Amino acid sequence: MNRFFEWLLNLDRRWIYLLVAVSLITPIVVPIGLPVSTTASTRRAFEVIEALQPGDVVWLSFDYGPSSTPENDPMADAFLRQCFLKKLRVIVTALYPLGGLGLANNSLARVTAEFPGLRYGEDYVNLGYKDGAAAVMRSLGESISKAFPADQSGRPLADLPMMRGVQNIHQVKLVFTAATNLIGEYWITQAHAQFGTPVVIGPTAVSAPKYYAYLNAGQLAGMLGGMKGAAEYEKLLREKYPQLDQYYAQTRRFTATKGMDGQTVLHTIILIFIVLGNVAYLRTRGRRRREPA
Amino acid sequence: MNLDFSRVALMVFFFVIPVIGIVLGQNSPALRGRIPLVVAFIAGIIPIIALYVPKSFLSGPEGMSTRLDQWLIIVAGFALLLGVVNVLQNSSRKIARKDSGWIYSAVLLTGLLLTGSFGIWGAISGHGIGFMPDGSSTPFKWVEDRIFQPLQSTIFSLLAFFMASAAFRAFRARNTEATILLVAAGLVMAGRVPLLEFLAAPFPPLQPAAAAGSRFLGGLTEWIMDNPNGAAQSGIIIGAALGAASMAMRIILGIERGYLGLGAGEQT
Repeated sequence: MNRFFEWLLNLDRRWIYLLVAVSLITPIVVPIGLPVSTTASTRRAFEVIEALQPGDVVWLSFDYGPSSTPENDPMADAFLRQCFLKKLRVIVTALYPLGGLGLANNSLARVTAEFPGLRYGEDYVNLGYKDGAAAVMRSLGESISKAFPADQSGRPLADLPMMRGVQNIHQVKLVFTAATNLIGEYWITQAHAQFGTPVVIGPTAVSAPKYYAYLNAGQLAGMLGGMKGAAEYEKLLREKYPQLDQYYAQTRRFTATKGMDGQTVLHTIILIFIVLGNVAYLRTRGRRRREPA
Repeated sequence: MNLDFSRVALMVFFFVIPVIGIVLGQNSPALRGRIPLVVAFIAGIIPIIALYVPKSFLSGPEGMSTRLDQWLIIVAGFALLLGVVNVLQNSSRKIARKDSGWIYSAVLLTGLLLTGSFGIWGAISGHGIGFMPDGSSTPFKWVEDRIFQPLQSTIFSLLAFFMASAAFRAFRARNTEATILLVAAGLVMAGRVPLLEFLAAPFPPLQPAAAAGSRFLGGLTEWIMDNPNGAAQSGIIIGAALGAASMAMRIILGIERGYLGLGAGEQT
């Protein structure tokens, strides 16, 4: 037995890498369909969006880069779907410099293709990327057109029918930020704290623990924590809108619900590694103590 | 030209005074260090006063504080430019000297110049960096979709492999604190996914018990995240905010001068 533990402690890490690769790839290729349970923070986020009225203006900010797309892309896509189904008007921006705008364009292209009746400039606008996240948010309190004089393609805001009645962020009913770093926090400290605009955040799982403090303080209207939060949101969406249930069941695209299968298998593997590693450590430590020097 | 008070005051504070400082500072190293302190004091104090003095020249739509916010966006843009210049200088130097790993610098420079030129071409041609009029991708978008995004995703996904390996090798119950951390981390990892349902999948009779266990683990995880984690995070956030406020006061009052990057003989 002791030889087994010694062998375990000296296991070549490439075997671990192989196991991780197999455990992640297999559920993506052959989905398991594990159940997803919802948490209070995601339900709050869903309900606060659901409570908005058709025609209300919401803000979706792509504050993440390609490194966290498996977590953040499904959130942004699902939020857009809920908005378009509820006939909310969406202002899209990107405040993350490393690829945020490209991801916004891709997400809009994906989701708007599912809603053929949507009209650019009336149902949604894409204001593009602007550097200096916190400074941009501060100026939104005064005037959106000063921070974003034109949309992504260079059309002045005055030419976009949807923007005519939206002068500043006070007219925006909700901000949803899919965020990977500090920019999500800026939305809370700038848009919510200074202008009172409700903020829902979709952070990566790594940064989610920080936002529980804001959630408990009532400074966040809701949170989708990592891929789990995104999968919960997809579940709530499927329950509320049966037409999306069909989409999520049939789509060949990556969704958070599919991603949770891989994440579950990987968490299981890591937990087994931790338990085995500790058992081996404790057994060999005891033996080392007993051995004469 | 509209010469309202706020515009003129900002011009004096952030153009006339710095220019005078630069001119006089040519012959006076001490003055060269003092003028930025004055500029920093004014830039820091205007937004604070604007919060308490509801005068239009300070906090109105065309007020000094509002204009400073606009300037901040422009300055942030220049920070990007500064980064590009820095990368160009460092990488060129490395390539010229044939330092170790110079080939990576060459790849970096090629990527930077190629992608940058595609972006500039998009701006000049009016096509932007998204889609062409026929719906195809612009060269910039092609590079972003086909090279940049997969590369960044790949680099980040390597984390899963390192995490699994590190968890196996380093996450040990060496003492009481490490054991508490280990148990909490294990519970959260198990509670964030339907782990019990996954393990019970081959045994259908165990599914109801697994589902109940998962609900319990999920509730426990939420409690850990809401209470011990939430309390600790609140403390960290409040501490960091107080630290940032005190640092801001030190900069505004000229006590903290490290950002000036003063050389010998320029100390004020």
